[in-house]
Amino acid sequence: MSERTDGRGDVSEPSSTAEDGRSAGDPLLRVENLQKSYGDETVLRGIDFDLDRRDVEVIIGPSGSGKSTMLRCVNRLTEFQGGTISLDGESVMAMNENELRRRVGMVFQDINLFAHLTALENVTLGLRKVLDMSKGDAEDKAMSQLERVGLAPQAASYPAELSGGQKQRVGIARALAMDPELLLFDEPTSALDPELVGEVLEVMRDLADGGMTMLVVTHEMGFARRAASSLMFLDEGKIVERGPPEQLFDSPERDRTREFLARLTTISEEA
Amino acid sequence: MSGERSTARQALSNAGRQLPAGRSLGLAVGALFWCWLVVRWVAIWLGSKEPFFPATFFEGLATGFRNDGLVMQQTGGALAPVLDFVAGVWFLFSDLAGFVAFGVEYLPELAEGAWLTVVLTVTGILFGLVIAVPLSVARVYGGPVTRGLSLGYIELLRGTPLLAQLFVLYFGLNLSQYFRGFTFGVLPSAAVWVAIVGFTVNSAAYQAEYIRAALESVESGQLTAARAIGLSRTEGIRHVVLPQGLRYAIPGWTNELIYLIKYSSLAAFITVVELFESGRIIASDTFAYLNIYGMLALFYLALVLSATLFMGWVENRVAIPGLGVRDGR
Ligand SMILES: Nc1ncnc2c1ncn2[C@@H]1O[C@H](COP(=O)(O)OP(=O)(O)OP(=O)(O)O)[C@@H](O)[C@H]1O
Ligand SMILES: [Mg+2]
Repeated sequence: MSERTDGRGDVSEPSSTAEDGRSAGDPLLRVENLQKSYGDETVLRGIDFDLDRRDVEVIIGPSGSGKSTMLRCVNRLTEFQGGTISLDGESVMAMNENELRRRVGMVFQDINLFAHLTALENVTLGLRKVLDMSKGDAEDKAMSQLERVGLAPQAASYPAELSGGQKQRVGIARALAMDPELLLFDEPTSALDPELVGEVLEVMRDLADGGMTMLVVTHEMGFARRAASSLMFLDEGKIVERGPPEQLFDSPERDRTREFLARLTTISEEA
Repeated sequence: MSGERSTARQALSNAGRQLPAGRSLGLAVGALFWCWLVVRWVAIWLGSKEPFFPATFFEGLATGFRNDGLVMQQTGGALAPVLDFVAGVWFLFSDLAGFVAFGVEYLPELAEGAWLTVVLTVTGILFGLVIAVPLSVARVYGGPVTRGLSLGYIELLRGTPLLAQLFVLYFGLNLSQYFRGFTFGVLPSAAVWVAIVGFTVNSAAYQAEYIRAALESVESGQLTAARAIGLSRTEGIRHVVLPQGLRYAIPGWTNELIYLIKYSSLAAFITVVELFESGRIIASDTFAYLNIYGMLALFYLALVLSATLFMGWVENRVAIPGLGVRDGR
Protein backbone atom coordinates (compact mmCIF):
# COMPACT_ATOMS: atom_id res chain seq x y z
CA MET A 1 0.00 0.00 0.00
CA SER A 2 2.93 2.23 0.59
CA GLU A 3 4.01 1.72 -3.01
CA ARG A 4 2.79 5.03 -4.21
CA THR A 5 6.40 5.80 -4.55
CA ASP A 6 6.55 7.16 -8.09
CA GLY A 7 10.28 7.37 -7.66
CA ARG A 8 10.19 10.37 -5.38
CA GLY A 9 12.32 8.62 -2.83
CA ASP A 10 15.15 8.60 -5.32
CA VAL A 11 15.05 12.27 -6.04
CA SER A 12 17.93 13.60 -4.06
CA GLU A 13 16.96 17.00 -2.86
CA PRO A 14 19.53 19.64 -2.14
CA SER A 15 18.53 19.72 1.52
CA SER A 16 19.86 17.50 4.23
CA THR A 17 18.28 14.17 3.41
CA ALA A 18 20.09 12.19 0.80
CA GLU A 19 23.66 13.31 0.90
CA ASP A 20 25.51 10.15 1.58
CA GLY A 21 24.02 7.95 -1.12
CA ARG A 22 23.23 5.26 1.41
CA SER A 23 19.62 6.29 1.15
CA ALA A 24 19.07 5.53 -2.50
CA GLY A 25 16.09 3.22 -2.68
CA ASP A 26 15.42 3.18 1.04
CA PRO A 27 12.32 4.92 2.29
CA LEU A 28 13.08 7.68 4.74
CA LEU A 29 11.21 5.85 7.48
CA ARG A 30 10.55 2.14 7.58
CA VAL A 31 8.56 0.61 10.41
CA GLU A 32 8.48 -3.17 10.55
CA ASN A 33 6.44 -5.29 12.92
CA LEU A 34 6.63 -2.66 15.63
CA GLN A 35 5.52 -3.99 19.03
CA LYS A 36 5.28 -2.10 22.23
CA SER A 37 3.76 -2.76 25.60
CA TYR A 38 3.57 -0.98 28.90
CA GLY A 39 3.92 -3.76 31.44
CA ASP A 40 1.15 -6.24 30.70
CA GLU A 41 -0.70 -3.88 28.41
CA THR A 42 0.17 -4.36 24.75
CA VAL A 43 -0.21 -1.06 22.98
CA LEU A 44 1.28 -1.66 19.52
CA ARG A 45 0.72 -5.09 17.93
CA GLY A 46 2.86 -5.22 14.83
CA ILE A 47 2.87 -2.03 12.81
CA ASP A 48 4.33 -2.01 9.31
CA PHE A 49 4.63 0.91 6.97
CA ASP A 50 7.09 2.90 4.87
CA LEU A 51 7.22 6.62 4.54
CA ASP A 52 9.02 8.13 1.59
CA ARG A 53 10.71 11.46 1.46
CA ARG A 54 8.35 14.38 0.99
CA ASP A 55 5.38 12.23 1.95
CA VAL A 56 2.83 13.30 4.54
CA GLU A 57 1.19 10.51 6.48
CA VAL A 58 -1.87 11.39 8.53
CA ILE A 59 -2.71 9.01 11.37
CA ILE A 60 -6.17 8.79 12.84
CA GLY A 61 -7.63 6.48 15.43
CA PRO A 62 -9.64 6.39 18.62
CA SER A 63 -8.19 7.50 21.93
CA GLY A 64 -5.84 4.89 23.34
CA SER A 65 -5.23 3.25 19.99
CA GLY A 66 -1.49 3.88 20.28
CA LYS A 67 -0.97 6.88 17.98
CA SER A 68 1.19 8.88 20.37
CA THR A 69 3.04 5.78 21.43
CA MET A 70 3.92 5.01 17.83
CA LEU A 71 5.31 8.50 17.22
CA ARG A 72 7.32 8.31 20.41
CA CYS A 73 8.84 5.02 19.33
CA VAL A 74 10.08 6.64 16.13
CA ASN A 75 12.29 9.15 17.97
CA ARG A 76 12.83 6.77 20.89
CA LEU A 77 11.20 8.93 23.49
CA THR A 78 9.88 5.55 24.53
CA GLU A 79 11.50 2.16 24.09
CA PHE A 80 9.79 -0.57 22.07
CA GLN A 81 10.00 -4.31 22.56
CA GLY A 82 9.80 -5.72 19.07
CA GLY A 83 10.29 -4.94 15.42
CA THR A 84 12.53 -2.39 13.78
CA ILE A 85 12.33 1.23 12.88
CA SER A 86 14.82 2.51 10.34
CA LEU A 87 15.56 6.04 9.36
CA ASP A 88 17.21 6.36 6.01
CA GLY A 89 18.07 2.68 6.02
CA GLU A 90 19.65 2.67 9.47
CA SER A 91 18.00 1.16 12.52
CA VAL A 92 17.16 3.82 15.07
CA MET A 93 18.34 1.45 17.79
CA ALA A 94 21.83 1.67 16.32
CA MET A 95 21.90 5.43 16.49
CA ASN A 96 22.80 7.75 19.29
CA GLU A 97 19.40 8.76 20.58
CA ASN A 98 20.22 12.45 20.84
CA GLU A 99 21.45 12.44 17.26
CA LEU A 100 18.30 10.57 16.19
CA ARG A 101 16.13 13.17 17.87
CA ARG A 102 18.02 15.96 16.21
CA ARG A 103 17.14 14.40 12.87
CA VAL A 104 13.51 13.74 13.77
CA GLY A 105 11.64 16.79 14.99
CA MET A 106 8.53 16.58 17.15
CA VAL A 107 5.60 18.89 17.77
CA PHE A 108 3.39 18.20 20.78
CA GLN A 109 -0.28 18.49 21.58
CA ASP A 110 0.47 20.42 24.76
CA ILE A 111 3.16 22.40 22.91
CA ASN A 112 5.65 22.35 25.81
CA LEU A 113 7.45 25.57 25.04
CA PHE A 114 10.24 26.33 27.49
CA ALA A 115 8.37 28.72 29.75
CA HIS A 116 11.40 30.70 30.91
CA LEU A 117 12.65 31.49 27.42
CA THR A 118 11.43 33.93 24.78
CA ALA A 119 10.12 32.68 21.47
CA LEU A 120 13.54 33.30 19.95
CA GLU A 121 15.39 31.60 22.81
CA ASN A 122 13.06 28.60 22.55
CA VAL A 123 14.34 28.16 19.03
CA THR A 124 18.00 28.96 19.73
CA LEU A 125 18.39 26.59 22.69
CA GLY A 126 18.78 23.50 20.52
CA LEU A 127 20.96 25.34 18.02
CA ARG A 128 23.30 26.51 20.77
CA LYS A 129 23.42 23.42 22.97
CA VAL A 130 22.94 20.61 20.45
CA LEU A 131 24.52 22.04 17.30
CA ASP A 132 27.01 24.23 19.18
CA MET A 133 26.28 27.24 17.02
CA SER A 134 27.53 30.65 18.04
CA LYS A 135 25.00 32.98 19.60
CA GLY A 136 24.85 35.22 16.55
CA ASP A 137 24.45 32.39 14.05
CA ALA A 138 21.85 30.69 16.21
CA GLU A 139 19.84 33.88 16.48
CA ASP A 140 19.97 34.50 12.74
CA LYS A 141 18.82 31.00 12.03
CA ALA A 142 16.12 31.08 14.71
CA MET A 143 14.86 34.36 13.38
CA SER A 144 14.47 32.95 9.90
CA GLN A 145 12.54 29.99 11.34
CA LEU A 146 10.24 32.35 13.20
CA GLU A 147 9.72 34.27 9.97
CA ARG A 148 8.81 31.02 8.30
CA VAL A 149 5.94 30.52 10.76
CA GLY A 150 5.02 34.21 10.67
CA LEU A 151 6.17 35.05 14.18
CA ALA A 152 9.22 37.26 13.71
CA PRO A 153 7.49 40.20 15.44
CA GLN A 154 6.92 38.07 18.56
CA ALA A 155 10.53 36.91 18.84
CA ALA A 156 11.04 38.65 22.18
CA SER A 157 7.76 37.48 23.74
CA TYR A 158 7.60 34.86 26.46
CA PRO A 159 5.28 31.88 25.98
CA ALA A 160 2.81 33.28 28.50
CA GLU A 161 2.47 36.34 26.30
CA LEU A 162 1.54 34.35 23.18
CA SER A 163 -1.77 32.90 22.06
CA GLY A 164 -2.11 29.14 21.77
CA GLY A 165 -1.77 29.26 18.02
CA GLN A 166 1.32 31.44 18.22
CA LYS A 167 2.82 29.10 20.81
CA GLN A 168 2.31 26.09 18.60
CA ARG A 169 3.90 27.91 15.68
CA VAL A 170 6.93 28.61 17.88
CA GLY A 171 6.87 24.89 18.70
CA ILE A 172 7.04 24.14 14.99
CA ALA A 173 9.84 26.68 14.45
CA ARG A 174 11.76 25.10 17.34
CA ALA A 175 11.55 21.71 15.66
CA LEU A 176 12.31 23.09 12.19
CA ALA A 177 15.43 24.89 13.34
CA MET A 178 17.24 21.62 13.85
CA ASP A 179 16.86 20.85 10.11
CA PRO A 180 15.00 17.61 10.76
CA GLU A 181 14.59 15.07 8.00
CA LEU A 182 11.27 13.97 9.43
CA LEU A 183 8.75 15.86 11.51
CA LEU A 184 6.36 14.16 13.92
CA PHE A 185 3.18 15.97 14.90
CA ASP A 186 1.12 14.61 17.80
CA GLU A 187 -2.31 16.25 17.62
CA PRO A 188 -0.77 19.70 17.19
CA THR A 189 -4.09 21.52 17.12
CA SER A 190 -6.30 19.60 19.49
CA ALA A 191 -5.42 21.70 22.53
CA LEU A 192 -6.14 24.94 20.68
CA ASP A 193 -9.25 27.09 20.60
CA PRO A 194 -11.08 26.44 17.32
CA GLU A 195 -10.34 29.89 15.92
CA LEU A 196 -6.59 29.31 16.38
CA VAL A 197 -6.44 25.96 14.61
CA GLY A 198 -6.35 27.48 11.12
CA GLU A 199 -3.09 29.39 11.50
CA VAL A 200 -1.26 26.27 12.68
CA LEU A 201 -2.70 24.07 9.93
CA GLU A 202 -1.67 26.70 7.41
CA VAL A 203 1.95 26.49 8.56
CA MET A 204 1.77 22.70 8.38
CA ARG A 205 0.32 22.85 4.87
CA ASP A 206 3.15 25.14 3.79
CA LEU A 207 5.64 22.65 5.18
CA ALA A 208 3.96 19.80 3.34
CA ASP A 209 3.96 21.81 0.12
CA GLY A 210 7.63 22.61 0.69
CA GLY A 211 8.46 18.90 0.67
CA MET A 212 8.86 18.20 4.38
CA THR A 213 8.36 14.57 5.31
CA MET A 214 5.74 14.46 8.02
CA LEU A 215 4.00 11.94 10.25
CA VAL A 216 0.93 13.70 11.58
CA VAL A 217 -1.56 12.49 14.17
CA THR A 218 -4.57 14.72 13.69
CA HIS A 219 -8.30 14.55 13.33
CA GLU A 220 -8.44 17.65 11.14
CA MET A 221 -9.85 15.93 8.08
CA GLY A 222 -9.60 19.08 5.98
CA PHE A 223 -5.85 18.97 6.45
CA ALA A 224 -5.77 15.25 5.66
CA ARG A 225 -7.72 15.72 2.44
CA ARG A 226 -5.64 18.65 1.35
CA ALA A 227 -2.10 17.72 2.44
CA ALA A 228 -1.83 13.99 3.18
CA SER A 229 -0.28 11.67 0.67
CA SER A 230 -1.57 8.80 2.75
CA LEU A 231 -3.99 8.24 5.59
CA MET A 232 -3.63 5.57 8.23
CA PHE A 233 -6.38 4.36 10.54
CA LEU A 234 -5.00 2.86 13.71
CA ASP A 235 -7.08 0.93 16.20
CA GLU A 236 -6.03 -1.20 19.16
CA GLY A 237 -2.39 -1.01 18.18
CA LYS A 238 -2.87 -2.16 14.61
CA ILE A 239 -3.21 -0.50 11.23
CA VAL A 240 -6.80 -1.19 10.22
CA GLU A 241 -6.53 0.48 6.88
CA ARG A 242 -4.13 2.68 5.01
CA GLY A 243 -4.32 4.42 1.66
CA PRO A 244 -4.73 7.68 -0.18
CA PRO A 245 -7.07 9.96 1.78
CA GLU A 246 -9.70 10.14 -0.98
CA GLN A 247 -9.90 6.37 -1.05
CA LEU A 248 -10.43 6.05 2.70
CA PHE A 249 -12.94 8.87 2.72
CA ASP A 250 -14.94 7.74 -0.28
CA SER A 251 -14.63 3.98 -0.40
CA PRO A 252 -13.03 2.49 2.68
CA GLU A 253 -12.53 -1.26 2.64
CA ARG A 254 -13.38 -1.74 6.28
CA ASP A 255 -16.60 -0.91 8.05
CA ARG A 256 -14.68 0.20 11.09
CA THR A 257 -12.88 2.84 9.05
CA ARG A 258 -16.19 4.05 7.64
CA GLU A 259 -17.77 4.26 11.08
CA PHE A 260 -14.83 6.08 12.58
CA LEU A 261 -14.62 8.58 9.74
CA ALA A 262 -18.38 9.11 9.86
CA ARG A 263 -18.15 9.86 13.56
CA LEU A 264 -15.22 12.23 13.01
CA THR A 265 -17.11 14.14 10.38
CA THR A 266 -20.24 14.48 12.51
CA ILE A 267 -18.18 15.74 15.41
CA SER A 268 -16.34 18.27 13.33
CA GLU A 269 -19.57 19.41 11.71
CA GLU A 270 -21.19 19.84 15.10
CA ALA A 271 -18.23 21.83 16.35
CA MET B 1 2.62 27.98 52.85
CA SER B 2 4.32 29.84 50.06
CA GLY B 3 0.94 31.04 48.85
CA GLU B 4 0.28 32.54 52.24
CA ARG B 5 3.65 34.17 52.20
CA SER B 6 3.21 35.60 48.78
CA THR B 7 -0.18 37.08 49.58
CA ALA B 8 1.39 38.63 52.63
CA ARG B 9 4.12 40.03 50.48
CA GLN B 10 1.59 41.21 47.93
CA ALA B 11 -0.24 43.04 50.70
CA LEU B 12 3.03 44.52 51.87
CA SER B 13 3.99 45.73 48.44
CA ASN B 14 0.49 47.13 47.90
CA ALA B 15 0.81 48.99 51.15
CA GLY B 16 4.19 50.17 49.93
CA ARG B 17 2.61 51.55 46.78
CA GLN B 18 -0.06 53.35 48.74
CA LEU B 19 2.43 54.76 51.20
CA PRO B 20 5.54 55.45 49.17
CA ALA B 21 6.82 57.67 51.96
CA GLY B 22 6.54 54.83 54.46
CA ARG B 23 8.34 52.52 52.11
CA SER B 24 11.23 54.86 51.52
CA LEU B 25 11.42 55.57 55.23
CA GLY B 26 11.71 51.83 55.85
CA LEU B 27 14.41 51.52 53.20
CA ALA B 28 16.26 54.49 54.66
CA VAL B 29 16.17 52.96 58.15
CA GLY B 30 17.37 49.67 56.69
CA ALA B 31 20.19 51.35 54.78
CA LEU B 32 21.23 53.24 57.90
CA PHE B 33 21.22 50.02 59.93
CA TRP B 34 23.42 48.21 57.44
CA CYS B 35 25.79 51.14 57.02
CA TRP B 36 26.23 51.32 60.76
CA LEU B 37 26.65 47.54 61.01
CA VAL B 38 29.31 47.39 58.31
CA VAL B 39 31.22 50.35 59.71
CA ARG B 40 30.97 48.76 63.13
CA TRP B 41 32.36 45.45 61.83
CA VAL B 42 35.26 47.22 60.19
CA ALA B 43 35.94 49.10 63.41
CA ILE B 44 35.88 45.84 65.38
CA TRP B 45 38.38 44.21 63.03
CA LEU B 46 40.56 47.26 63.42
CA GLY B 47 40.41 46.65 67.14
CA SER B 48 37.95 49.26 68.41
CA LYS B 49 34.96 48.27 70.46
CA GLU B 50 34.29 51.79 71.69
CA PRO B 51 30.78 53.08 70.92
CA PHE B 52 30.74 55.66 68.13
CA PHE B 53 28.63 57.89 70.31
CA PRO B 54 29.29 58.33 74.04
CA ALA B 55 26.71 56.52 76.10
CA THR B 56 27.20 59.10 78.83
CA PHE B 57 25.16 61.62 76.85
CA PHE B 58 22.06 59.40 76.97
CA GLU B 59 22.78 58.37 80.53
CA GLY B 60 22.79 62.08 81.41
CA LEU B 61 19.48 62.54 79.62
CA ALA B 62 18.00 59.60 81.45
CA THR B 63 19.10 60.88 84.85
CA GLY B 64 17.95 64.40 84.01
CA PHE B 65 14.46 63.34 82.99
CA ARG B 66 14.11 61.12 86.02
CA ASN B 67 15.23 63.80 88.46
CA ASP B 68 12.92 66.40 86.90
CA GLY B 69 10.06 63.94 87.05
CA LEU B 70 10.72 63.25 90.72
CA VAL B 71 10.74 66.98 91.46
CA MET B 72 7.45 67.47 89.60
CA GLN B 73 5.85 64.61 91.50
CA GLN B 74 6.78 66.15 94.79
CA THR B 75 5.43 69.57 93.88
CA GLY B 76 1.98 70.01 95.39
CA GLY B 77 -0.63 72.70 94.86
CA ALA B 78 -3.33 73.30 92.27
CA LEU B 79 -1.19 72.10 89.40
CA ALA B 80 -0.33 68.77 91.03
CA PRO B 81 -2.53 66.57 88.75
CA VAL B 82 -1.03 68.14 85.62
CA LEU B 83 2.48 67.85 86.99
CA ASP B 84 1.90 64.21 87.88
CA PHE B 85 0.89 63.59 84.29
CA VAL B 86 3.95 65.38 82.90
CA ALA B 87 6.14 63.52 85.37
CA GLY B 88 4.79 60.25 83.98
CA VAL B 89 5.81 61.32 80.48
CA TRP B 90 9.22 62.36 81.77
CA PHE B 91 9.74 58.94 83.37
CA LEU B 92 8.93 57.37 80.01
CA PHE B 93 11.50 59.63 78.32
CA SER B 94 13.97 58.74 81.00
CA ASP B 95 13.47 55.02 80.43
CA LEU B 96 13.75 55.46 76.68
CA ALA B 97 16.96 57.44 77.07
CA GLY B 98 18.16 54.75 79.44
CA PHE B 99 17.39 52.10 76.80
CA VAL B 100 19.27 54.06 74.17
CA ALA B 101 22.21 54.62 76.52
CA PHE B 102 22.26 50.91 77.27
CA GLY B 103 22.02 50.17 73.58
CA VAL B 104 24.84 52.53 72.65
CA GLU B 105 27.04 50.93 75.22
CA TYR B 106 26.43 47.32 74.24
CA LEU B 107 25.75 47.63 70.50
CA PRO B 108 29.39 46.98 69.59
CA GLU B 109 29.25 43.59 71.28
CA LEU B 110 25.93 42.76 69.66
CA ALA B 111 27.31 43.80 66.30
CA GLU B 112 30.17 41.41 66.79
CA GLY B 113 27.68 38.65 67.53
CA ALA B 114 25.57 39.68 64.56
CA TRP B 115 28.61 39.23 62.33
CA LEU B 116 28.74 35.54 63.16
CA THR B 117 24.99 35.21 62.78
CA VAL B 118 25.25 36.70 59.30
CA VAL B 119 28.25 34.56 58.41
CA LEU B 120 26.54 31.36 59.58
CA THR B 121 23.32 32.21 57.78
CA VAL B 122 24.83 33.30 54.48
CA THR B 123 27.36 30.48 54.23
CA GLY B 124 24.77 27.96 55.41
CA ILE B 125 22.28 28.99 52.76
CA LEU B 126 24.79 29.29 49.90
CA PHE B 127 26.85 26.14 50.53
CA GLY B 128 23.58 24.41 51.38
CA LEU B 129 22.21 25.39 47.99
CA VAL B 130 25.24 23.95 46.25
CA ILE B 131 24.49 20.58 47.88
CA ALA B 132 20.71 20.91 47.66
CA VAL B 133 20.56 21.23 43.88
CA PRO B 134 22.15 17.87 43.09
CA LEU B 135 20.24 16.30 46.00
CA SER B 136 16.90 17.47 44.67
CA VAL B 137 17.74 16.57 41.08
CA ALA B 138 18.76 13.10 42.25
CA ARG B 139 15.53 12.86 44.20
CA VAL B 140 13.33 13.79 41.23
CA TYR B 141 15.25 12.38 38.28
CA GLY B 142 17.62 9.86 39.75
CA GLY B 143 17.53 6.10 39.49
CA PRO B 144 16.47 4.00 42.47
CA VAL B 145 19.89 4.12 44.08
CA THR B 146 20.60 7.84 43.82
CA ARG B 147 17.00 8.58 44.72
CA GLY B 148 17.30 6.39 47.79
CA LEU B 149 20.58 7.96 48.86
CA SER B 150 19.23 11.44 48.44
CA LEU B 151 16.03 10.60 50.28
CA GLY B 152 18.03 8.98 53.07
CA TYR B 153 20.19 12.07 53.49
CA ILE B 154 17.22 14.41 53.45
CA GLU B 155 15.14 12.42 55.92
CA LEU B 156 18.07 11.84 58.26
CA LEU B 157 18.92 15.53 58.42
CA ARG B 158 15.34 16.71 58.63
CA GLY B 159 14.34 14.00 61.04
CA THR B 160 16.90 14.72 63.75
CA PRO B 161 17.29 17.89 65.81
CA LEU B 162 19.71 20.45 64.43
CA LEU B 163 21.21 20.75 67.90
CA ALA B 164 21.95 17.04 67.96
CA GLN B 165 23.65 17.37 64.58
CA LEU B 166 25.83 20.19 65.87
CA PHE B 167 26.73 18.12 68.92
CA VAL B 168 27.68 15.14 66.80
CA LEU B 169 29.89 17.31 64.61
CA TYR B 170 31.46 19.22 67.46
CA PHE B 171 31.70 16.78 70.34
CA GLY B 172 31.22 13.46 68.56
CA LEU B 173 33.41 13.87 65.50
CA ASN B 174 35.46 16.63 67.07
CA LEU B 175 35.47 18.37 63.71
CA SER B 176 37.04 21.51 65.12
CA GLN B 177 40.44 19.80 65.28
CA TYR B 178 40.61 20.06 61.48
CA PHE B 179 39.82 23.76 61.46
CA ARG B 180 42.27 25.12 64.00
CA GLY B 181 44.47 26.36 61.20
CA PHE B 182 41.64 28.33 59.64
CA THR B 183 40.90 30.79 62.39
CA PHE B 184 41.76 34.36 61.63
CA GLY B 185 40.33 37.78 62.37
CA VAL B 186 36.85 37.45 60.93
CA LEU B 187 36.33 33.82 61.92
CA PRO B 188 37.49 33.81 65.52
CA SER B 189 37.22 30.12 66.37
CA ALA B 190 37.31 26.66 64.88
CA ALA B 191 33.84 26.15 66.34
CA VAL B 192 32.51 28.66 63.79
CA TRP B 193 33.70 26.37 61.03
CA VAL B 194 31.99 23.42 62.64
CA ALA B 195 28.81 25.45 62.87
CA ILE B 196 29.13 26.39 59.18
CA VAL B 197 29.45 22.71 58.29
CA GLY B 198 26.47 21.90 60.50
CA PHE B 199 24.20 24.57 59.07
CA THR B 200 25.29 23.73 55.53
CA VAL B 201 24.50 20.04 55.71
CA ASN B 202 21.27 20.68 57.60
CA SER B 203 20.06 23.51 55.40
CA ALA B 204 20.91 21.49 52.29
CA ALA B 205 18.31 18.92 53.32
CA TYR B 206 15.57 21.50 53.81
CA GLN B 207 16.49 23.38 50.66
CA ALA B 208 16.52 20.14 48.70
CA GLU B 209 12.92 19.57 49.73
CA TYR B 210 11.89 23.08 48.67
CA ILE B 211 13.69 22.66 45.35
CA ARG B 212 12.30 19.18 44.81
CA ALA B 213 8.76 20.52 45.08
CA ALA B 214 9.70 23.35 42.71
CA LEU B 215 11.25 20.98 40.17
CA GLU B 216 8.17 18.81 40.25
CA SER B 217 6.03 21.79 39.41
CA VAL B 218 7.84 22.27 36.09
CA GLU B 219 5.68 20.42 33.57
CA SER B 220 7.42 17.21 32.55
CA GLY B 221 6.46 17.88 28.93
CA GLN B 222 9.13 20.55 28.76
CA LEU B 223 11.85 18.04 29.52
CA THR B 224 10.38 15.74 26.88
CA ALA B 225 10.44 18.63 24.42
CA ALA B 226 14.06 19.35 25.31
CA ARG B 227 14.99 15.74 24.66
CA ALA B 228 13.00 15.81 21.43
CA ILE B 229 15.32 18.44 19.96
CA GLY B 230 18.37 16.35 20.81
CA LEU B 231 19.34 17.53 24.28
CA SER B 232 20.31 14.78 26.67
CA ARG B 233 18.26 14.37 29.84
CA THR B 234 20.97 16.02 31.89
CA GLU B 235 21.17 18.95 29.51
CA GLY B 236 17.41 19.26 29.56
CA ILE B 237 17.39 19.34 33.35
CA ARG B 238 20.20 21.87 33.35
CA HIS B 239 18.86 24.23 30.68
CA VAL B 240 15.10 23.83 30.99
CA VAL B 241 13.99 22.41 34.33
CA LEU B 242 16.45 24.00 36.77
CA PRO B 243 16.13 27.60 35.54
CA GLN B 244 12.40 27.37 36.16
CA GLY B 245 12.51 25.21 39.27
CA LEU B 246 15.00 27.48 41.01
CA ARG B 247 12.75 30.46 40.33
CA TYR B 248 9.78 28.61 41.79
CA ALA B 249 11.91 27.75 44.80
CA ILE B 250 12.62 31.36 45.77
CA PRO B 251 9.71 31.74 48.23
CA GLY B 252 10.68 28.52 49.98
CA TRP B 253 14.26 29.64 49.92
CA THR B 254 13.29 32.90 51.61
CA ASN B 255 11.62 30.89 54.36
CA GLU B 256 14.72 28.82 54.81
CA LEU B 257 16.88 31.93 55.01
CA ILE B 258 14.66 33.37 57.73
CA TYR B 259 14.66 30.13 59.70
CA LEU B 260 18.40 29.97 59.42
CA ILE B 261 18.85 33.49 60.78
CA LYS B 262 17.05 32.39 63.93
CA TYR B 263 18.30 28.80 64.14
CA SER B 264 21.88 30.01 63.89
CA SER B 265 21.54 30.87 67.59
CA LEU B 266 21.91 27.15 68.28
CA ALA B 267 25.59 27.59 67.45
CA ALA B 268 25.91 29.04 70.95
CA PHE B 269 25.73 25.46 72.24
CA ILE B 270 29.01 24.69 70.56
CA THR B 271 30.64 27.86 71.95
CA VAL B 272 30.04 30.19 69.03
CA VAL B 273 29.20 33.64 70.38
CA GLU B 274 26.69 34.71 67.76
CA LEU B 275 24.05 37.39 68.16
CA PHE B 276 21.80 35.71 70.71
CA GLU B 277 24.66 34.41 72.79
CA SER B 278 26.41 37.78 72.86
CA GLY B 279 23.14 39.26 74.16
CA ARG B 280 22.72 36.50 76.73
CA ILE B 281 26.22 37.13 78.06
CA ILE B 282 25.50 40.85 78.45
CA ALA B 283 22.21 40.04 80.17
CA SER B 284 23.84 37.76 82.70
CA ASP B 285 26.46 40.43 83.43
CA THR B 286 24.06 43.33 83.76
CA PHE B 287 20.74 41.70 84.67
CA ALA B 288 19.12 44.19 82.27
CA TYR B 289 17.04 41.45 80.71
CA LEU B 290 14.30 43.60 79.25
CA ASN B 291 16.70 46.00 77.61
CA ILE B 292 18.96 43.37 76.16
CA TYR B 293 16.22 41.10 74.86
CA GLY B 294 14.47 44.15 73.43
CA MET B 295 17.65 45.03 71.55
CA LEU B 296 18.02 41.45 70.37
CA ALA B 297 14.47 41.41 69.07
CA LEU B 298 15.12 44.60 67.11
CA PHE B 299 18.32 43.12 65.72
CA TYR B 300 16.69 39.90 64.57
CA LEU B 301 13.77 41.84 63.14
CA ALA B 302 16.16 44.01 61.15
CA LEU B 303 17.99 40.95 59.83
CA VAL B 304 14.78 39.11 58.91
CA LEU B 305 13.19 42.13 57.24
CA SER B 306 16.40 42.74 55.29
CA ALA B 307 16.40 39.13 54.15
CA THR B 308 12.76 39.34 53.06
CA LEU B 309 13.31 42.58 51.19
CA PHE B 310 16.43 41.25 49.54
CA MET B 311 14.79 38.02 48.43
CA GLY B 312 11.79 39.96 47.14
CA TRP B 313 14.20 42.05 45.11
CA VAL B 314 15.89 38.92 43.77
CA GLU B 315 12.54 37.40 42.89
CA ASN B 316 11.60 40.54 40.96
CA ARG B 317 14.98 40.66 39.32
CA VAL B 318 14.69 37.17 37.83
CA ALA B 319 10.93 37.24 37.25
CA ILE B 320 9.70 36.09 33.86
CA PRO B 321 6.22 36.90 32.55
CA GLY B 322 3.87 34.04 33.28
CA LEU B 323 6.34 32.20 35.50
CA GLY B 324 5.96 32.04 39.26
CA VAL B 325 3.74 33.48 41.94
CA ARG B 326 3.78 37.07 40.80
CA ASP B 327 1.50 36.39 37.89
CA GLY B 328 -1.02 34.44 39.89
CA ARG B 329 0.42 31.04 39.24
N1 LIG C 1 3.58 6.09 29.94
C1 LIG C 1 2.62 5.15 29.88
N2 LIG C 1 2.54 4.18 30.80
C2 LIG C 1 1.59 3.25 30.75
N3 LIG C 1 0.66 3.17 29.79
C3 LIG C 1 0.67 4.10 28.82
C4 LIG C 1 1.64 5.15 28.83
N4 LIG C 1 1.42 5.94 27.77
C5 LIG C 1 0.35 5.41 27.12
N5 LIG C 1 -0.10 4.32 27.76
C6 LIG C 1 -1.22 3.47 27.33
O1 LIG C 1 -1.01 3.11 26.01
C7 LIG C 1 -2.20 3.14 25.28
C8 LIG C 1 -2.03 3.98 24.05
O2 LIG C 1 -1.78 5.29 24.43
P1 LIG C 1 -1.49 6.45 23.39
O3 LIG C 1 -1.23 7.67 24.18
O4 LIG C 1 -0.46 6.01 22.45
O5 LIG C 1 -2.87 6.55 22.66
P2 LIG C 1 -3.35 7.64 21.61
O6 LIG C 1 -3.82 6.90 20.43
O7 LIG C 1 -2.32 8.66 21.41
O8 LIG C 1 -4.59 8.25 22.36
P3 LIG C 1 -5.09 9.77 22.43
O9 LIG C 1 -5.90 9.99 21.23
O10 LIG C 1 -5.92 9.78 23.67
O11 LIG C 1 -3.89 10.63 22.51
C9 LIG C 1 -3.28 3.65 26.21
O12 LIG C 1 -4.05 2.56 26.65
C10 LIG C 1 -2.50 4.25 27.35
O13 LIG C 1 -3.20 4.06 28.55
MG1 LIG D 1 -2.06 10.72 21.88
